[in-house]
Amino acid sequence: MRKISAIAVNTFREAIRNKILYALLFFAVALIMASIVVARLSLHEEIRVIEDLGLAATSLFSVLIAVFVGVNLVYKELERKTVFFIIPKPIYRWEFLWGKLIGTSLTLAVLVGFMALVFFGVLMIMGGAVRVVLLKAIWLYYVEVLVISTVALFFSSFSSPFLSGLFTILVFVVGRLTPDIEMFIPRMGDEWLKTFTQAVMYCIPDLNLFNVSGALVAGEWVSIHGEFVTWLYVGKATAYGLIYGGIVMFLAMVVFRRRDFV
Amino acid sequence: MISVTPAQKSEKEGSENIINVNNLHKTFVTGFLPYGRVSRVLWKTWPRGAKVLSNRVEAVKGLSFSVRRGEIFGLLGPNGAGKTTTLKIMMGLIFQDKGEIQLFGHKPGSLQAKKRTGFLPENPYFYDYLRAEEFLSLVAALTGIPRRERKKRIHEMLKRVGLEEAVDRPLRKYSKGMLQRIGLAQALLCDPLLVVLDEPLSGLDPVGRKEIRDIIRGLKKEGKTVLFSSHILSDVEMLCDRVAIMSKGSLRHIGSLDELLKDDSGTMEMVLNGKKEVLDELLEKWEGSGERIGEKARFITESAEEKDRLLKKALEKGLSLESLAPRRSSLEEIFMSKTGTIDEKRSGESQSKKKDEKEE
Repeated sequence: MRKISAIAVNTFREAIRNKILYALLFFAVALIMASIVVARLSLHEEIRVIEDLGLAATSLFSVLIAVFVGVNLVYKELERKTVFFIIPKPIYRWEFLWGKLIGTSLTLAVLVGFMALVFFGVLMIMGGAVRVVLLKAIWLYYVEVLVISTVALFFSSFSSPFLSGLFTILVFVVGRLTPDIEMFIPRMGDEWLKTFTQAVMYCIPDLNLFNVSGALVAGEWVSIHGEFVTWLYVGKATAYGLIYGGIVMFLAMVVFRRRDFV
Repeated sequence: MISVTPAQKSEKEGSENIINVNNLHKTFVTGFLPYGRVSRVLWKTWPRGAKVLSNRVEAVKGLSFSVRRGEIFGLLGPNGAGKTTTLKIMMGLIFQDKGEIQLFGHKPGSLQAKKRTGFLPENPYFYDYLRAEEFLSLVAALTGIPRRERKKRIHEMLKRVGLEEAVDRPLRKYSKGMLQRIGLAQALLCDPLLVVLDEPLSGLDPVGRKEIRDIIRGLKKEGKTVLFSSHILSDVEMLCDRVAIMSKGSLRHIGSLDELLKDDSGTMEMVLNGKKEVLDELLEKWEGSGERIGEKARFITESAEEKDRLLKKALEKGLSLESLAPRRSSLEEIFMSKTGTIDEKRSGESQSKKKDEKEE
C-alpha cells in the first residue's frame, strides 16, 4: 500500500504542478462567475439560474479535466520514458496503475471541491443557500468523473492520448445519452443492429445515473429545485460507479500486465 | 548501514552466476498487428498476410551468456545490436518470445529479482518537476526503504554522486551529466547487489565520465556485480573484467578482456632511434610495414625470424633499439572485426570499386 500511495502522491503532485490544469480551472471559475450576469437577465429566478449554471460548469469542467488528466496518465510515462525507471523498482505493474488512478482521484477531488466552493460562494453572495441536494448532486458528478478517469486510464494503457481522449469523450457522450438510445433500440428495424447496439450499451457506463437533476428516476421527476434523489439512490449510484470503475481497472491491469515498454 | 537479509547472505555464499541468459529471442512486431500473440499466430499460419499487416524486427536472436558474482561485465555492440532490448528484458520492461533469463535464480520482473537490482536506463529522464530530494524520496518509498532511514540515505547518496549543491534545484534544470548522476543515485539508493547500467557513459564530458567510472569501480570494491552496455570502447577497456560483444542480435564473442586483447600471432612492434637518413633508408628497404614518428621509426614484424632480421640490420647500421613489444590489437580493432563492421566496410568498398570499374 505504501508503494501505491507513493505513486498516488507523485501523480497528484504532477497534476497540481501542471499549468494547463489551472487554465481549465480558470475557465470553470469564470463560467461559474458568469452565472451572476446571466442570473441578472432572468426575472426573479436568479438563484435557480446560478444553481443550474454552477452545477453544469462544475460537471463539464470536471469531465474535461478527468479526460485530460486520465489520457495522459500512462502515455506521459511512456513518452518521457519515466516508466523505464519505475517498472524495474520492486513494485507490481498493477500497483503502478492503481497509484496513478488514486492520484488522479485525489486531484479530481481537490479540483471538484474547489469549483464547488466557488459555486457555493457565488450562490451565497447572491442570497442563496447551500442545500443538501446540491451536495448530493456534486458528489454524483464526482463519482461520474471517477468512472470517466478509469475509462481514460484504460484507453491510455494501450493507445495515444489523442485516440484515448476521443474514445473517452465518445463513452461520455453515449453514456449520458443512455436512456435516449435505449428508448430508440426497439424501433430499430435491423435485428443485428439492435443486438449490436444492445451489446454496446451493456459495455458503456450509464452516466445518466449521475446526472439526475431534471430527469426521470424510477418514473419520478427529480430536480435540485424540487424533489431530489434520496441518500439511498446516491449510495446505489456510487456503488454502480465503483463497480464499473473496478471492472475497467481490471481490464486495464490485464492489458498492462503483458505490455512491452519499448 | 544496511542489514543483510538471510536470503542475501545465502546468495553471497551461493551460486557463482548472478545472471543467466539462455537462448534468448525477441522479435518486435510493428504496424497494424502490434500484439505479440496474435501476430505470432498470424505469422505462422498466414505469413503473406502478416507481412502486409505488420513488420518484424528480430532484435535478439538466440543470445546466451552469464554474469558472475562481483564482476564488471560489459555488453558491447554497435547501435541496434540488441543490447538495450536484452537489458529491458532483464528488467521486466519487455517480454522475451523464447528462451530464459534468470536474475538471482528468479524470473525478470519478479519482486525477488527487482529487490536486488538497481537499473539506470539509457538517456534517463525523470519527473522534471521534482527536486532531487523529492525524487529520491519517491524512489526510497518504492524500494521499501524505511521512513526513518530515508533522509540519511538520500543525503549520503547525493554526496556520493556529487549532487549536494543541486539538491534544491528541479530536475528540469539539470544538465545531461547531472541527470546521469541522479539516475545512478536512484539505481544505487536501495543498495542493490546487482547494478545494471544502460549506456551510463554516453553524452558525458571527460570529467563526468571519470566520475561515473570511479563510482562503478567503487561498486566492484563493495562486492557488487555490475552489468553495463556501452559502445565507448575506452571506458569498457578501463572498467570491465569480461565483455560480451553483440551484433545484429547475436553474441559474437564473450570472454575476459585479457583473453580478448591477447595476441598470439607473434606480431611485434619495434621502435628504432638514430640518424634520420639511416632510418629513412631502412624504411625504404624494409618489406614489412613501418612508419616514421618524429625522430624515430616504428616497424611491425610478423614473425620471430623477421624480427631478428630487422634487429640485426638496425644494429649493423648503428641504430639503437628504443622498444620491442608484442603488438596488442586495440579493443576497437577487435570490436570491428567481431561485429563484422570491417568485413562489411571492405565488401562495400570492393562493391563500389567494381561499380566504378564497370562504369569506366
